[in-house]
Amino acid sequence: MDHTLIVQLLISGILLGGIYALGSIGLTLIFGVMKVVNFAHGEFFMLGMYLTYWLFHYFQIDPYLSTLILVPAVFLIGLVTYYVFIRPTIGSSVLAQIFITVGLSTIIQNTVLLFWSADFRSISLSYATDAMVFGPFPALGVDEVMVNPSRLIAFSLAICLSAAFYLFLRFSYTGKIIRATSQDRSAALLMGINIDKIYKLTFAMGIVLTGLAGGLILPIYSVHPFVGFDLVLIMFVVVVLGGMGSVVGAVISGLIIGVVEVFSSYWLGQENKQVIYFLVFIAVLVLRPSGLFGLKEEEEVERIEAIE
Amino acid sequence: MKPLNEITKGDRLHLRFVVSAVAVVLALVLPLLIGNDFYLDGLILIFMWGTYAAAWNILAGYAGMVSLGHNAFFGIGAYTSTLLLLRFGLTPWAGMLVGGMLASCVGLILGIVCFRLRSHYFALATLAFGEVTYIVAVNWRSLTGGSEGLALPIQPSFYLFSFSSKLPYVYIGLFFLLTVIGISYAIQQSRLGYFLLAFRENEDAARALGVRTGRVRLIAMVLSSFLSAIMGTFYAQYAVFIDPSSVIRIQLSVQVALFAIVGGVGTVMGPVIGAMLFIPITIALRAKMGTALPGLHMIVYGIILVLVLLYMPQGISTKLKEKVPLLTKIWRG
Repeated sequence: MDHTLIVQLLISGILLGGIYALGSIGLTLIFGVMKVVNFAHGEFFMLGMYLTYWLFHYFQIDPYLSTLILVPAVFLIGLVTYYVFIRPTIGSSVLAQIFITVGLSTIIQNTVLLFWSADFRSISLSYATDAMVFGPFPALGVDEVMVNPSRLIAFSLAICLSAAFYLFLRFSYTGKIIRATSQDRSAALLMGINIDKIYKLTFAMGIVLTGLAGGLILPIYSVHPFVGFDLVLIMFVVVVLGGMGSVVGAVISGLIIGVVEVFSSYWLGQENKQVIYFLVFIAVLVLRPSGLFGLKEEEEVERIEAIE
Repeated sequence: MKPLNEITKGDRLHLRFVVSAVAVVLALVLPLLIGNDFYLDGLILIFMWGTYAAAWNILAGYAGMVSLGHNAFFGIGAYTSTLLLLRFGLTPWAGMLVGGMLASCVGLILGIVCFRLRSHYFALATLAFGEVTYIVAVNWRSLTGGSEGLALPIQPSFYLFSFSSKLPYVYIGLFFLLTVIGISYAIQQSRLGYFLLAFRENEDAARALGVRTGRVRLIAMVLSSFLSAIMGTFYAQYAVFIDPSSVIRIQLSVQVALFAIVGGVGTVMGPVIGAMLFIPITIALRAKMGTALPGLHMIVYGIILVLVLLYMPQGISTKLKEKVPLLTKIWRG
C-alpha cells in the first residue's frame, strides 16, 4: 500500500471523525452529568439534518449559515424533551431510563417517516463540489491528495465548536458548575447548586451539539428517517472508547473511529466496516469499560450505584 | 361465599388452581370455536410474542440485566433450524433444539465475556452484539442467502413442522407459552428466583451472603437465549420465509422489551399480558390503515411505552393487582 493512499485515507478519516466527535460530545456530557444514556441521541442528529435540509430546500439558506437558526430551535426541542421525558425518569430504574429514550427514539423516527417519507434527501453546494487538491509532497513520497471542501468545512467548524465548548466547560462559571455536578452530585447539591437547572442546561446543550453535527454533515450525507440509528451506534462506540463522561476522550476517540471506519471500509468493503467498530466497542466494554480517558471503573460503578 | 379477608392459604391455592385450569381450558377450546384464520393468526402471534417476551423477561426482569440484543438469539434460532432443514433435510423439531443449544452457547459466551458489565453497559454491549449478528447475516451470503432471505418448503407434514391449517400452530404456540409461563413461575418460586432477585437488587450484598452471582446470571442468560431461539424457529416455520430484517433486526429486541415492560417486567404474566394488549392493536392498525401511514403502529408503541414508564413503571399487571384486590388475594401467597 503506497503512502499516498494511506495519507488520503487518514485525511478522510480524520475529517469524518471531527463530525463524530462533535456529535458524541453531547452524548458523553449527558451521561457524565446526568447518568442518562440517551438512546434517542441519534434522532436529534437526524432532526438537525432535516431542519438544515428544509431551510435549504424552501428558503435556499446556506447550510452553514442556517446553524444560527438551528441552535435555538434544537435548544428548545432539547428543553421540551428534558421536561417531558427525561426529568421524570431521573432516579428511577435503569430499565426505565433506557426505555424512555428508546421509546422517544421510536416516536421521533416514525413520526418523521410518517410526515417526510423514507426518501433519501441530500443537498449539493455549488461552491463545494470540486475536490481540492493538495500536494504533491515529494519529500514524503506522497502524490496529490484530494480533499472534499464540504468535508473540510464541516471538520473545521466541528473542531472549532468542540474546542469552544471545551473552553466553556473549563473556564466559564456555568461550565465549572456542570463539571462539579458531574464529579459529585451530592456535594454539588450541598454547595447550593440548582441541580435541576444544570440538568436542563446540560441536556439541551448536548442536544444542540449533536443537532449542529447533523447540520454540518448534511452537505456530505443524505438524510432519511433512520439515519439517526446508524449514527447513534457510532456515537456509542466513540463515547465508550473515550470513556463515558469524558469530553476530551470523545473528541480523540471520535477521530480514531473516523479513521478506523475509513480504513476498514477500504479493506473490508462498505458493508463490513461496522463489524470492525462493533468489535472494538465490545472489546473496550469488556476489557476497559471506563474507556481510554474515563475514570477508573470501580469509581464509576460506585457513582452509578450512588445515583440509583 | 366467604368475605375476602377470610380466604385461607388453602382456599387461595384452590382458587389459583381453578382460575389457571379455566384459563388453560379456555385457551384450548377457544381456537376450535374461532375457525377464522384472521383471528387465529392473531392468537398465534400473541402466543409467539408472549413466549419471546417472557424469555426476555427471565433475563431483564428477574436478573435485572437489560438486553437489547435478543434479536440475535431469535435470529440464530430461525437460521439454524432453517439451514439444517434446507441443507441436510433435518426436521425442524430437531433443528429447533440445535438452534436453542447454539443460542444458549452464544448466550453463555456473551454472558462470560460481559461478566463485569452492569446496567447501561450491559445494554450497550448486547446492542452491539445484536447489530454484529445482523451485519454478519446480511453479508455472509453463501451461508444465509443475505438480504434475499430463505424460503422454507411448503409441504404440509408433521416431520417438516409445516401444516396447511393454522390450528396446529395455535396449539404448538400455546404449548410453548404454557411452558415458558411454567418456567417463569418455577423460577419465581425457587431458590434460583430468590438468588436472581438478590442479584438484581444488590449484587454485593447477594455475594456477601453466599449467592454465586456469576453462575446465577449465566443460568438466566442461557435459559433466556434458549427460549428466544426456539421462538425464532417457530417464527420461521410459521412465516415460511426468513431474512435478516425480519428475524434479526434490532426492532425485534425493542418490541419484545416493550411488551414485557408494558405488561409488567419481573412478573410471570406481565409479558404475556403485554403481547395480548399489543398484538390486537397492531393487527387493528394494519387492517385499518394498510400501508397508507407507514410507521404509525410504531408511533403508537412508542407513546404507550413512554406513558407506561412515566405513569405506571411496574406495568399493567401490577397495576391490575392493585386495582382488583381479589387478584392479589389469589395470586400473592
